Amino acid sequence: MKILLIEDENELQKSIKQYFEMEGNVVEVAADYGKAEQKIAIYEYDCILVDITLPNGSGLDLIKKIKLKKSKAGIIIISAKNSLEDKIYGLDLGADDYLPKPFHLSELNSRVKALIRRKSFDGNLEIVVNEIKILPIERSVFVSGKNVILTSKEYDLLLYFIANKNRVVSKNALAEHLWGDNADQLDNYDFIYNHVKNLRKKLLEKKCEDYLHTIYGIGYNFKTAE
Amino acid sequence: MKLLAKTSLYYLLLSIPILILSGFVCYYIVTKEVKDGNNELLLIRSALVEQYLKENDTISLQLISKSGEAQIKPISKFNLKAEAKYVFADTLILDKKENELAPNRMITSNISFKYNNYQIKIWRSTIEFDELVEGILYLLIFILFFLFLISMLINFWVSKTLWKPFYKTVNSLKEFRASDNELPYFKETTIREFTVLNNSLAIMMKKMMSDYNSQKRFSENASHEIQTPLAVIKSKVDLLIQSENLKDYEMKLITGIDNACSKLISLNKSLLLLTKIENRQFKITETVSVEKIIDNSLLLFEDYIIANKIVIIKNIEEDFLITMNPDLCLILINNLVQNAIRHNIENGSIIIFIKATSLSIHNTGNDEPLNSALLFKRFQKNSTSHLSIGLGLAIANEIVEVSGLSLKYKFISNKHQFTLSIK
Repeated sequence: MKILLIEDENELQKSIKQYFEMEGNVVEVAADYGKAEQKIAIYEYDCILVDITLPNGSGLDLIKKIKLKKSKAGIIIISAKNSLEDKIYGLDLGADDYLPKPFHLSELNSRVKALIRRKSFDGNLEIVVNEIKILPIERSVFVSGKNVILTSKEYDLLLYFIANKNRVVSKNALAEHLWGDNADQLDNYDFIYNHVKNLRKKLLEKKCEDYLHTIYGIGYNFKTAE
Repeated sequence: MKLLAKTSLYYLLLSIPILILSGFVCYYIVTKEVKDGNNELLLIRSALVEQYLKENDTISLQLISKSGEAQIKPISKFNLKAEAKYVFADTLILDKKENELAPNRMITSNISFKYNNYQIKIWRSTIEFDELVEGILYLLIFILFFLFLISMLINFWVSKTLWKPFYKTVNSLKEFRASDNELPYFKETTIREFTVLNNSLAIMMKKMMSDYNSQKRFSENASHEIQTPLAVIKSKVDLLIQSENLKDYEMKLITGIDNACSKLISLNKSLLLLTKIENRQFKITETVSVEKIIDNSLLLFEDYIIANKIVIIKNIEEDFLITMNPDLCLILINNLVQNAIRHNIENGSIIIFIKATSLSIHNTGNDEPLNSALLFKRFQKNSTSHLSIGLGLAIANEIVEVSGLSLKYKFISNKHQFTLSIK
């Protein structure tokens, strides 16, 4: 997958690039408006991550340019402003998602995956990881053809783990994913623990291989490869 | 006491000695005038009698003697030169009609005429002094009463019209909030003092607003600037935990950093949210169903409800529909529900009442009522929970203020009650 990252903060740029490159994606970087404009004009991307406040211009204008070119790239706005107007305006312009900074890299990754899935197959796609098959439209999960009944939160967790497979996902990232902005107000590690435990139990009951590994103190790793 | 009432009271008190003094002056002038007038009249009469004597007009003399106001008697020559020609005196003479002694003014004159000497006494009744005093006293009391009445009327009129601009200014001061960013309109007045007052107030308010705005801008910018390094820390932690061969001890350190970072992020987010609400940046409004949001909120926190065995009782009369920003409504209700859960006890309960015009959330919890003065202030922690940052109710309160709602806290029969209604 080819990703264009338009972000002026050098360190954040490096982090995002590194995280996506771990999975073998190609990440190109543009740190200001002019460079981004050039890259958009010349190359095709699967996904473009764009910051709104850039040196010499606004990310919103870049979105207009991308859309003018009739590019098929998915667009995710990553902004520190978290302003509702920007979000509405950006989505109106044709952006697909809006992720306010700061975010967990695993969250960004899961959003990118979901977006690519929606874009390339109109969401009508099966996600297959070895014996696990997920039908996102129906929100249903099968292990070796057998249906696994999951709660809404367990399903969300499974999808999140699979998007970030072979990656350590922190409990804070999971809490944020499940509870959004309300995550940090209540003590939710126990609940995450319970949901993951139940998810794992349900998968194991259907003779699924034990992919879910607990990383002491930090979180979990959905390991499909050694 | 009103300023006007006080001034007129002083005015009245001061007028009493002035009135008493003027009473004395009045008395003196009246008596003097009467005396002078009488003297003059008596002199004329005395001259007339002399004339009659000289002309030997006995008929006129008899007439005068009969009037009871004159006495003419011959005297020996011996006495004549010893006395002055005219002598005035005050004397009491029996009033035959009223049969009492009445004050009279009398002239005594001695004349010699054709070897006959006469003493002529002519008198005239004058005013009774006690009656004069009484009259003056009545007059003074009447004046005092009249002054009092007039000052009351003036007070009434003055406060109605003259002080009107003042009260208008005071009223607009009551409604002034620096965060509204709007200078109240002071009606122009022809009274200089009020113009000065209004001008000084306008200057002060402008200063307050600009101070408020610069402070607000500062906190907004600070929060925004903090956001980026926090995003960097967060992303680095996410990368760091990917590395293989981390020892448990190192994992613990990383977790510590991650948690502190998350907390900092949420704190910063809350502060930004507060600033945005204050800035009225949530402009879009639509009709929101409180019942729906409550249901979503309960679903969001169901884990906590189940884990703490909290019983939820919903009492819905009719859906409460509010016209406000949907995001703010969501935050507001989530904060209230979260508050009811967080400060609850195990096996406790939450009772939710939804009526057409209000939402009431009653929850069990601490047996002590919360301090309602501090409840909605920022960074007020009533719980010992380390997770609480103490901004939830401050945010709720701010949302309520910008949305034209009212949020009230009560502690009744061991339940904490928060009621949201339209103002």
